[in-house]
Amino acid sequence: MSAEQAGAGVALRRRRRSPLGSRWTPYIFLLPAAAYIFLFQAIPLVQEIYLSFTRTNLLNPTRSVWVGLENYEKIFASAGFQQTLLTTLGYVIACVVGAVGSGLGVALLLNGRFPGRGIARALVTVPWAAPGIATALIATWMLNAQYGIITRVLRAIGVDVGESGILDNPDLALVAILATTIWQLFPFVAVVLLSALQSVPAELTEAAEMDGANRWWSFRVVTWQVIKPTVGLVALLMTIWSLRRFELIWLMTRGGPLGTTRTLVIDLYSQAFDSKQLGNAAAIGMVGIVIALIVVVGSSLVSRAAERGA
Amino acid sequence: MRRVRIGVVGRMIGVLVVLGIAVFPIYWMFTTALSSDADLFAAQPRLVPDFGQFGVFVDALADGPTLTWLRNSTIVAVGTTALSIVLGIPLAYALSRFSFRGKVAVGLLLLMTQMLPEALMVVPLFSLYRRFELLDSLVGLVLANTAFVLPIVALVLKGAIDGVPRELEEAARVDGSRPLTVLLRINVPIIAPAIAAAAVIAFFHAWNEYVFAVTFIFNKALQPASVGLAGFVGEQGTAIQTIMAVAFMFTLPAVAFYLFAQKYVVSGMTAGAVKG
Repeated sequence: MSAEQAGAGVALRRRRRSPLGSRWTPYIFLLPAAAYIFLFQAIPLVQEIYLSFTRTNLLNPTRSVWVGLENYEKIFASAGFQQTLLTTLGYVIACVVGAVGSGLGVALLLNGRFPGRGIARALVTVPWAAPGIATALIATWMLNAQYGIITRVLRAIGVDVGESGILDNPDLALVAILATTIWQLFPFVAVVLLSALQSVPAELTEAAEMDGANRWWSFRVVTWQVIKPTVGLVALLMTIWSLRRFELIWLMTRGGPLGTTRTLVIDLYSQAFDSKQLGNAAAIGMVGIVIALIVVVGSSLVSRAAERGA
Repeated sequence: MRRVRIGVVGRMIGVLVVLGIAVFPIYWMFTTALSSDADLFAAQPRLVPDFGQFGVFVDALADGPTLTWLRNSTIVAVGTTALSIVLGIPLAYALSRFSFRGKVAVGLLLLMTQMLPEALMVVPLFSLYRRFELLDSLVGLVLANTAFVLPIVALVLKGAIDGVPRELEEAARVDGSRPLTVLLRINVPIIAPAIAAAAVIAFFHAWNEYVFAVTFIFNKALQPASVGLAGFVGEQGTAIQTIMAVAFMFTLPAVAFYLFAQKYVVSGMTAGAVKG
């Protein structure tokens, strides 16, 4: 009885200080997760930054030699790395444009009235839900040089994909990887943009069309203005995800043929675990992180400027 | 009136084409698994599954390591789910209900984790794991996966806690309950659906994860299904039907559960990117 009263008294006193307990309360809630992320993300990241300034072998990682900027000078001087940068750039841009474009198209398609709309909206998300490994396996099989269904169809309509098949063709491998990536991503874009489209007030588009505006005009004047921030956000997510995509490319081509599908992440992994050069790998990783940071900071500046302009 | 009807028909055709593209590869996985060798390598391949071949699924589970792989994947996925929910709920509560110094820094930290490729973190984690004997251990995979899925889990849960009316908490607090009790007794039951969705996200993040698993696990008996399946690539010994059967069994639970959690996944991920 008295203990309970004492407890209530403490709580009351605490309430007086702050409505939500003592001022340390939020930090106590924060501590476990923050410590965890610090241990498993922040420390390894710092270690990786350090590694990028050293010569370190995977087989003997405790004996690393400080070499300053040598790794960075070396990678930027190599023609192979310049190709990697260009491939990464092309891959990311094509992924973003392809996924956002097709996703927006599908969202507009699904936003109308038609029978079976609920089922269609659920089924369209299947590619995004399928595990990346399974996607890589089925894509590789469908693109098989002899028996793949896509290869068969292309040959049947007279497209020359070469003897060794699409994934071994330096002109086509990246296109195949891109198509697979976009297949995987477009449902996410479509679902996110569909929910944005549903917040477009119907009266506005109707009013625009009643004023004699055609569909395209009312899309540009009304719909696009409402969904623009969401499109920007999705494009940012696609950029970040595409910069770090690994398993799909690794399993389908390992960066080949002739390095035509070697993105930064593929390069970094094979430097670390095939060539065992941890310093080089870390430097490549840092380049990737800097690119991602530039994209994130740049896009937040652009969206802030757009907000101020509006 | 006629124009409207043509519009609907056109839209239906478009939708059917999109659905065909979306679903066909999974259908083809299933059909390939259920094809005889003769059909598979014929000039004209069979386009519908041959259910007489259903034994391939049974054989894939009975012979070979498929069951071990699926068991390992399940252990890693359950562990990741439990750990990320336990760490994620208090983090989400702190971000939702309190304003405190360093909140922006925490937000930035969470955004940063979205930018770090697993393939980059695998190197420093590898040396960390060697020191603490976490290589060749499913616990090591749970720890690494949790670090990557925790931010998304926290953001999904934060969104749900944002929606819980504060008055409910105030009432409990007047009764003298401590903040942790309030969180567990009031918020957690209300946000149970979001917790379930976050659990689905965490589970299948770990279920699908490949980079850590292929780098940290050498013992074949500890391989999860993602690594086992990837090992089929470029290998000659295993029949393509078996590969596709295992891939299909690996895909089915992920697709089924994602359809359920989709709404929360989307809102959680976009919220995370908006607010950092």
